[in-house]
Amino acid sequence: MKKVVQMFVAVFLVAFIFVYVTARINSLQGYSGANTLTIYNWGDYVDPDLITAFEEETGLKVIYQTFESNEAMLTKIAHGGTSFDVVVPSDYAINKMREQGLLLPLDHELIPNLEHIDPRFLNLSFDEGNKYSIPYFWGTLGIIYNSEMLGGKELESWEDLWDDSLRNQIILVDSAREVIGIGLDSLGYSLNDTDPDHLREAHDKLKELIPNVKAIVGDELKMLLANEEAAIGVVWSGDAALIIEENPKLNYVIPAEGSNVWFDNIVIPTTATNIEGAHMFINFVLDPENAAINTEYVGYSTPNRAALEYLPEEIVSDERFYPGPEITDQLELYENLGKRMLAYYNELFLEFKMHRK
Amino acid sequence: MRKSKLANIYLALVFIVLYAPILYLAYYSFNSGGTMYAFEEFTLEWYYEVFQDTRLLVILLNTLTIALLSAAISTIVGVMGALAINNVQRRDFRNALLTLNNVMIVSPDVIIGASFLILFAMLGMRLGFTSVLIAHIAFSVPIVVLMVLPKLQEMSPTLIDAARDLGATKWDVLTRVIIPYISPGILSGFFMALTYSLDDFAVTFFVTGSGFTTLSVEIYSLARRGISLTINALSTLIFLVTLLLVLGYYAISKQAARPMRLEVGE
Repeated sequence: MKKVVQMFVAVFLVAFIFVYVTARINSLQGYSGANTLTIYNWGDYVDPDLITAFEEETGLKVIYQTFESNEAMLTKIAHGGTSFDVVVPSDYAINKMREQGLLLPLDHELIPNLEHIDPRFLNLSFDEGNKYSIPYFWGTLGIIYNSEMLGGKELESWEDLWDDSLRNQIILVDSAREVIGIGLDSLGYSLNDTDPDHLREAHDKLKELIPNVKAIVGDELKMLLANEEAAIGVVWSGDAALIIEENPKLNYVIPAEGSNVWFDNIVIPTTATNIEGAHMFINFVLDPENAAINTEYVGYSTPNRAALEYLPEEIVSDERFYPGPEITDQLELYENLGKRMLAYYNELFLEFKMHRK
Repeated sequence: MRKSKLANIYLALVFIVLYAPILYLAYYSFNSGGTMYAFEEFTLEWYYEVFQDTRLLVILLNTLTIALLSAAISTIVGVMGALAINNVQRRDFRNALLTLNNVMIVSPDVIIGASFLILFAMLGMRLGFTSVLIAHIAFSVPIVVLMVLPKLQEMSPTLIDAARDLGATKWDVLTRVIIPYISPGILSGFFMALTYSLDDFAVTFFVTGSGFTTLSVEIYSLARRGISLTINALSTLIFLVTLLLVLGYYAISKQAARPMRLEVGE
């Protein structure tokens, strides 16, 4: 008995020492209740130095919590019990959050740096007038390929994926709208097409792509391509930039037929307790110089036009990641097609995945 | 039957399968290249970064605190529960209780986590340290019960009768006969609870909030942007500490094996 009791006393003691040390570290860094700002963002999606600079400038202390999918984030916000002040959802998630009344309107007067955002990326269909959201990073869906492994072959369009010489070379991202979208785009239909005949046609066309598909995977796609497990991947431009950084032999292209454009956006959810601080933070990251620092760290494309001046020329002039208006005009956002239509997309995608080679 | 060579090879193979991933991860934690494949040069940079990153350290401390507290509390609750279940006279009722206990072990973590989230939201509780602690205690208690109960059942009732005959009070019987007898079960229950808490992702994910995170949730959220080798370094350190703890526990229990017995009759 004595031994057991001793052990438990020791365990509790150690636990309380840990609690004390944690509290000590937090207070040393100046965290103390009221002066905090809680940011809920994707893992590693902001330059930590920028947060330090923000803390020094404003005297606020930032608590940084992370999520790995829009769905996870939505669940957390919708159920309450949290006090996130700033969140960074993707475009389609903003639609959902607006529908569920989870967003607070932004006070544009407190965000003078909004003027630096390229007008091309304002006033988009998921949030007209930018009442609730401001773009944080953006990108496209495209093809990444290793022309060395393809014997010098270059790819330019979705149609090129169907080439007979590419047997077992393509890795697709495991996501219904992206893959069905390849079929739609290559047939010249809209990514938001709701005509069942068109969708069926896209599916039938995709069926012929199957001999060329090596795998349909999730986040491990980045590693597989960088390791040269396959020569071609269909990826988002943000991931493509990371892959190319690891393996410069790869090249990224926005397909000629058009493709999807996506945005991650800063919003203030209804769970916010420090609304003034949230506006300060948004204005801070929109400052051209800060946006440039952040862009260099994250490696995605910034929608901040003024920030481009502070970025190295080779980044800004890279048409793959900063395409001009003639290309972005052809790109499409995913509209919210409603539950039934999405279910149909998913069904077709499932059918596609189940086809035998 | 003599131990054949084949048996040894099989054993070695099993251990290789078990430990290769950890060793692989530890190996690349020394890679200056920053990736998990092309090893460039030996570096301690990532270990240095672990200790520089106070956010990561706070998360690590949070994880350990939750694990220790939830394991200790759930062991106390679980031992009491096991005693209670063991004392139930009617057999069908006892089995019903035990089944209810086992349902908690079998039910998927995701469901437990989601139901806790709904419960906490309904109560209007803020998510954070307390919510995570409560959830961890909840899924650890059934495990402790399951570890302690067999020990109680294997204990001969004559031991208790003898103690009562010799004038021991109910309290004496509990503290001097029952608990010393079942203490191996208590210990294994505690360590099981500890490991369950340390590696839990699904339940924790639902109930974290307000800046409070544990290591597993934090690492998972790095998936989109790629996991830095700092995490490798940290995992290697945790693995080494765990190894030391296990070796220490082994040494202590070997040494204490005899005195432990004597204590039964102290």
